[in-house]
Amino acid sequence: MASPRIIMKLTVVAARKEPGDVLVIDVKHPRKSLLPPFEPGSHVDVHLPDGKVRQYSLCGDPTDLSHYTIAVKREQAGRGGSAWIHETVAVGSTLPVSAPRNHFPLEVGQGPTMLLAGGIGITPIVAMARVMERLGKPYELHYFTRSRALTPLLSVTEQALDASNVGLHFDDEPETRQDLESLLSKRSADAQLYYCGPPGFMAAVGRAAAHWPDGTVHFEAFQPPERDGVPPEPFTIELRDGTVVPVAADTSALAALRTAGVLLMASCENGVCGTCECGMLEGRPIHQDAVLSKEARAHRFIPCVSRATGVLRLDL
Amino acid sequence: MIWQGKLLHIHVAPAASYEMEELTEAQLIAGRGIIGDRYYLGTGTYSPKPDVREVTLIEVEVLEAIARGEPRIPGLRAKLEPADHRRNLTTRGVPLGHLVGKRFRVGETILRGARMNFPCKYIEQLLGIPGLYEGLLNRSGLNCAIEVGGTIRPGDPILPIDE
Repeated sequence: MASPRIIMKLTVVAARKEPGDVLVIDVKHPRKSLLPPFEPGSHVDVHLPDGKVRQYSLCGDPTDLSHYTIAVKREQAGRGGSAWIHETVAVGSTLPVSAPRNHFPLEVGQGPTMLLAGGIGITPIVAMARVMERLGKPYELHYFTRSRALTPLLSVTEQALDASNVGLHFDDEPETRQDLESLLSKRSADAQLYYCGPPGFMAAVGRAAAHWPDGTVHFEAFQPPERDGVPPEPFTIELRDGTVVPVAADTSALAALRTAGVLLMASCENGVCGTCECGMLEGRPIHQDAVLSKEARAHRFIPCVSRATGVLRLDL
Repeated sequence: MIWQGKLLHIHVAPAASYEMEELTEAQLIAGRGIIGDRYYLGTGTYSPKPDVREVTLIEVEVLEAIARGEPRIPGLRAKLEPADHRRNLTTRGVPLGHLVGKRFRVGETILRGARMNFPCKYIEQLLGIPGLYEGLLNRSGLNCAIEVGGTIRPGDPILPIDE
């Protein structure tokens, strides 16, 4: 179970529109000069008035804890959280924000680091690049968007980072384009890859880096991968004590477990935040989350979205 | 038992996991809780579990012992601020451990000690302070019912009623 985190009612001290329908928001603590520390890759939960919770990566400088910066893209087809933030949040607003958590940690090793961002996926990536820059470690940042005019955080990226480490790739500027296959075809010794972006980008990078060894590829998705359209089928969960929990076709495993009295924390309920992650002992899972690594899929399970065939034994 | 104590701090949180906020004045409602607090609003971590938790108290002496490093627990940070411990009222000079089943005054209100508070691992995770659970065992304060409501303020005297 993921740890609970303190929720702070933070004050919005800056809110500016950026290209690509993105609102960049700075928040400060109303009483304390410093916020809890964070590492690059970390996100916070923003608690909306209707009880919903949304995760946003911290894209500011991890050494400046006077404020947090998040960048919220308005998702027209989303579930309403980003639209509410765009329409309601202004300087002076109070926003309940959790202490940061990191599901996308940057391990600064000896080898070069490849940082790839698609669109709003720049948010955790730019925080990572800032750290690499400060440490003087070798890295390359490749930022892919449709068009220069629709690129959020472009000015921040250009100001905070050494341009020689940054590749900007715009779909509508052919001379800037970069083919993912050729970018990732050769892996230099000890290289690590980090990437974040929308589902199509995630799938494309995943394919292009399929030959990279286990443990060298790290990612964070904002949305679960596109589902294959197969209608969900009922299955059964068995708990450690032998309790059998049936999961109907129209219910999530998380909902079924809660009905059975299993206390599980959850947050996004969309397969991206990892709060409800639990251990898996045996069975044939159908993983539909965007959290677990290839290795973790052998023994971990995300019950808010993932399902199974037959009986799935969970470590609960 | 003769004692006389003092109310040092009042803290409430609007819902589970929210930071505690300090008040300079609070309204206690008999049988309910402190206006604005999660256990008054029914939004606390333990709200679904029936128990007396209208107002919770802790001794500042416990925070001072932790600050002195007593007991020695690996990793336990030396300082626990009054805003961190998640009890509503921080007291000085009040033998909370002796007040289960007893009534006592806080300013113009009357509280009744219901049961000793028991710490939860939750707070360690919430505050990121390993060892805090052990550090608070047997001294994490008193859960009380409000028999007579009213307004309280830091500095109010705390006095025994029942022997």
